[in-house]
Amino acid sequence: MKRLRQFLLLGLGLLTVSTLTACAQSHATTTKPVTITFWHGMTDQHQVTLNHLISQFNHSQTRYKVVASGQGNFANLQQKITAAAKSQTLPTIAQTAYTNVPTYVQGGFVTPLTPYLKTSDLKDVYPVFLDSASYRGKTYAFPFSKSARVLFYNRKLLAQTGLRIPKTWSELAQDGEKVQVQGLTGVAFDQSFMSELDDLIQQTGTPLVSDKLKVNANSQSALRATHVITDMLNAKTATTAGTDGYGSTQFFAGKTLFYCGSSAAIPIVQASAPKGLKWGTAPLPSYRGRHATSIAGNDLVLFKSASTAQRKVAAAFMKFMLAKPQTTYWAQKTGYLPLTKAAQKDANYQHYLAQHPTAKAANQSLPFGFQDVAFLGYPQYLVALSQATDKMASQHQSPKKAMGTLQTQTEKIIQQNR
Amino acid sequence: MPMLNAKPTLKSTLIALLYLAPLLLIVGVFTLWPLITTFLMSGYTHYNYFTNHVGGLGMVNFQFLWHDPDFHLALRNTLFFVIGVVPATVFLALGAALLLNRLPQLATFFRTVYFLPFVTSTVAISLVWNWLFHRDNGLLNALLRTHVDWLNDPHYALGALIIVCIWQNLGFNIILFLAGLNHLDPRYQAAANLDGASTWQRLTNVTWPLLTPMTVLITVNAIITNFKVFNQIYALFHGTAGPANADITLMYYLYQKFYVENQYPVAAACGVVLFGLILLITGLAALYFHRHAWWRGGQRG
Repeated sequence: MKRLRQFLLLGLGLLTVSTLTACAQSHATTTKPVTITFWHGMTDQHQVTLNHLISQFNHSQTRYKVVASGQGNFANLQQKITAAAKSQTLPTIAQTAYTNVPTYVQGGFVTPLTPYLKTSDLKDVYPVFLDSASYRGKTYAFPFSKSARVLFYNRKLLAQTGLRIPKTWSELAQDGEKVQVQGLTGVAFDQSFMSELDDLIQQTGTPLVSDKLKVNANSQSALRATHVITDMLNAKTATTAGTDGYGSTQFFAGKTLFYCGSSAAIPIVQASAPKGLKWGTAPLPSYRGRHATSIAGNDLVLFKSASTAQRKVAAAFMKFMLAKPQTTYWAQKTGYLPLTKAAQKDANYQHYLAQHPTAKAANQSLPFGFQDVAFLGYPQYLVALSQATDKMASQHQSPKKAMGTLQTQTEKIIQQNR
Repeated sequence: MPMLNAKPTLKSTLIALLYLAPLLLIVGVFTLWPLITTFLMSGYTHYNYFTNHVGGLGMVNFQFLWHDPDFHLALRNTLFFVIGVVPATVFLALGAALLLNRLPQLATFFRTVYFLPFVTSTVAISLVWNWLFHRDNGLLNALLRTHVDWLNDPHYALGALIIVCIWQNLGFNIILFLAGLNHLDPRYQAAANLDGASTWQRLTNVTWPLLTPMTVLITVNAIITNFKVFNQIYALFHGTAGPANADITLMYYLYQKFYVENQYPVAAACGVVLFGLILLITGLAALYFHRHAWWRGGQRG
């Protein structure tokens, strides 16, 4: 009897141990996180901020893991995506401009976010960001690092010349003429003034390329809008940055009243502006009674090669980034625009804006922000637009000729890619 | 050495192939295969680069190049650039090498100085030149007492690129010329001296003809290198092809079509044109030197 009891106890013990082991094993298999890879083009402080948020996401749960990999600058990132798409070694998600989506869709390596990200998940996102997220009725791009064009101004020069921040483009042009005699330049543009031209033509009421892909580069109203900038350049009341790359270099020299630049440059301007330079930002001036500011930046896309489990993780990560604390943190640390209305209204963010008034202009531009329509051949169009502005700036080509060429080229690009 | 005199057999050829296999594999994978692919891709029409779908074969991409004003500009600029850089590089390098050859004490120092640009990163060099060329604060304008916007004025931008590339190419070619000069038989100079030849006569009738094989090598190498100029442009002009495309070359055009505009077959067609052009001009240069029979240094005595 005693032996039987010992035998039973041993059996029970073995059963308990084996059950526990099985439990532990099954627990181990269920907790092995699904890993997704994320290629981005963030560098320096922006990369630190992004890594912090990713780490937060990874620590917020045990089922998923995001592994980020910086690919250098955006040009490098694009080249890597192209090469990886060809060699079928794409990551799960990557940062890219929504304007690349048509190429990726044609290449068949990007997948819509819709099954994994519901419309209700995006309902709080500003419409201007969502407009560009869809292509042919499906949502492919998730807005991520977005910026707006703003007007930087030199406070000291404004006070010295008795001028105020211009509300319209004609005021801006007149200010340039007024200060020219004092050896000052009115406004500095980046290497290319294509964003400002895009804005001005949008302000005429008809965009450069409409949603229905009608090109409007050489209409009378577009040419008049182009003249606003070229007349300033020809009168030397405005300059382009040339090989300096960004107009901020000239703005820093302290002899230029205004600089039209990206809000993403604010942290860089803060870090590199000379100590004595007091500057501020304002929304870009209006033209013909309308306001329109182009929104630039990058989005996230999900690649087809990802497994269903990975796609779900990608969606979970995107939702995490849209949550108020993360969106607010991202906007405060990087200078990018807050993507949701909730983040914009957040007391914490409003407090931040009160303390950092230079971040206000981009936010104020959101109600009239717009993004170009994405179409197959957009990168070719962008090169053509850049060449047109370059010819007007460096060769003083007339708007009629440069924009006429752009009209023909763009129509041809759209036609060939239909 | 019986092996060297042995007649090749199937076995010995196979063994030789085995020894050559690693290099053949590398050349095959990284040179020949891309070359064949490029030739094929240049003929693809309605091509989807990512799915490898080929709509058909034809000359459409070459027709595109034929009608594209940017390609014409790139071709013109490339030819102008090569004509601007190659002869100047060859003659300046020869002059510097001849001078260095006369200064044995300082030769090592100057050789190092001239060679430094060759081993320094092109991007770093271009950034420094970017400052030197700056309109307002540049050293060049300060020295010349001018106010030229070298990099942003389309009239000067190609000239600026030519200056940078001549300067950068100089060091390597000086070293090659010095190597050539050191290998010349001093007895020719001694004989010319005895005949009472002046320095200039010795240079034009003795040294220069004897250096011809080296000159051919340097010229052909310079032509090939400079036809493919890209890095200097990209770094000097902040990622663009200069003001109003003033510095667009065939290689930059190819890059732009491939990486920026996603027009892969057009980029491939441009690569084929560039390949053909380099082959043609290199062949012509070699033929020119052969025809003029300046090979008196060795074989033809």
